[in-house]
Amino acid sequence: MIRVRPLARLGELRLLVWVAALSLTGYVAVVAAAAGRFAWYELLVPVMVLAIVGALHVFLVSIGFRGDQLLMPIAVGLTAVGFVLVERLAPGLLLQQLSWLVIAAGAFCVTILIPRDLSVLARYKYTWALLGLLLLISPLLPVIGREVNGARIWVGIPGAQPGTSLAQFEPWELVKIALVIFFAAYLDEYREVLSSPPRRFGPIPVPPVPYLLPIAGMWLIAMLVMVFEKDLGATLLFFGIFLAMLYLATGEPFYVLIGLILLLGGGFVAYHAFAHVAARVDVWLAPFDSDLRFDQAYQLTQGLFSLANAGILGAGLGNGMPERIPVVWSDFVFDAFTEEVGFAGALALLAFYLVFVYRGMLIALRAPTTFLQLLAAGLSFIVAFQTLVIVAGNAKLIPLTGITLPFVAYGGSSLVTNFMLAALLLRVSDITARVRR
Amino acid sequence: MEITFAVILWAVRIVFLLLLYLFLIRSFRALQRALADERIAVTARQTGLAALVVTRSHAGGPRVGERMPLRAVSSVGRDGGNDVVLNDEAASAKHAIVSFADGDWWLEDAGSTNGTLLNGSRVWERARLHYGDEVAVGRIALRLERAQ
Repeated sequence: MIRVRPLARLGELRLLVWVAALSLTGYVAVVAAAAGRFAWYELLVPVMVLAIVGALHVFLVSIGFRGDQLLMPIAVGLTAVGFVLVERLAPGLLLQQLSWLVIAAGAFCVTILIPRDLSVLARYKYTWALLGLLLLISPLLPVIGREVNGARIWVGIPGAQPGTSLAQFEPWELVKIALVIFFAAYLDEYREVLSSPPRRFGPIPVPPVPYLLPIAGMWLIAMLVMVFEKDLGATLLFFGIFLAMLYLATGEPFYVLIGLILLLGGGFVAYHAFAHVAARVDVWLAPFDSDLRFDQAYQLTQGLFSLANAGILGAGLGNGMPERIPVVWSDFVFDAFTEEVGFAGALALLAFYLVFVYRGMLIALRAPTTFLQLLAAGLSFIVAFQTLVIVAGNAKLIPLTGITLPFVAYGGSSLVTNFMLAALLLRVSDITARVRR
Repeated sequence: MEITFAVILWAVRIVFLLLLYLFLIRSFRALQRALADERIAVTARQTGLAALVVTRSHAGGPRVGERMPLRAVSSVGRDGGNDVVLNDEAASAKHAIVSFADGDWWLEDAGSTNGTLLNGSRVWERARLHYGDEVAVGRIALRLERAQ
């Protein structure tokens, strides 16, 4: 039925060759620097990573996929850099991350195979919203909820001993996608009412109260996450995505203004009312304070020293001292990467995110329906916002939050989610290509 | 021996950085090509995803040969607010819907008084439209064509 043309995705294949070269070189540098010698069998892990990447390419070709050819190479390129960094910073976690990559690749394929025009996503929007909310509150539930490093954002399958887990997952990661789907479907349906409401108070649009409830509800949920799950990053991301999509759908700057005022107001109250919020802000304002330097601000200040050690070309892969930052492989990969490949490398890394997000926005622009446009824009925005929040947090530009650097940072939940996100974006571009024929 | 290993390691590190940039430049090139395609796509958007071309009309109706661009969901009817406006007494204010879903074009009657014909037979439920099919509303006939 489907005619398979092996070279249909030649552009993608060409870029994947660069991914392979990058991945193998980085791995050789890291292993050789650590061991002082090098043996070829040590390339087994990157070869396995590349085999999975190759399988994904073959999969896309074999189903006659017509979506974008740039997104996948960038996503797996960043993932490959991530694997080099895991080998560098936490070699013990490498096999675990590799098994997560297999699951992520599976999730990618399943998402690609979602039937036809993705309208199934829009049709069940309240189901997605409910699922998102359930996932969001799941870490608060007694048996499966887990608190890790002060944030209650994990669920785990309880192990034999009390307090241990067989497997852990951060449901928040999946919540992002569920919510973007819901926002896109909701805003697609009520865009007209929200963007040209019957009444206006001066320049301020006043839509009928029932349509305002979801916005107020989102704010309330964001605040509850901040208070009960102690997760600042999730709060910021959650509300940021919502405001950005609301603005995209309606073109009303006043909603964003009101949202920002609510967020700042909520943040101000939370700073004075809750110790964990205040601690984050204090660490950000004065990390070298003598009370904080070797205590709560230790991670951040070590990260800053790591950045300061970078220079233009960095210390060289495997030659820096990023292991002095606590939990560097998940929270501070950006600092670690920058220390070893310098300003030049960091700039390239950020440029890759730029290309990814830019491509995502182009896919959104071209998408044939409003729902698909909002969906693609929301998904690209997740990547942009996460990168901004964690890189700025690592560089002490804003208070540090527990958000992961997309595709690069160690972490199973985020790898799986990001692959699903990329797959959804690819699906939108595939639909566009088919509509335009 | 010690020095050669260090030199090789240094070279590998530099190569890594170079590869990072070469890959980035290739990605930028791909993005640039996509932008060029985008310019074409914008033109395509102005002409619509596809078009209904008038094949039969009457005095006061649309000119034969006129292209009416279609959006993903387009309403057809006599009312000026429709995406495809057909000035014909036999057409209802909101007559039919032409939409793109599941990879195909679909025609649906929107509860019109005089009905919609697809290739000469009346449409009772959502019917698939192929390129070249003829849709008749009142005295006006239209053919589905690909976007130019």
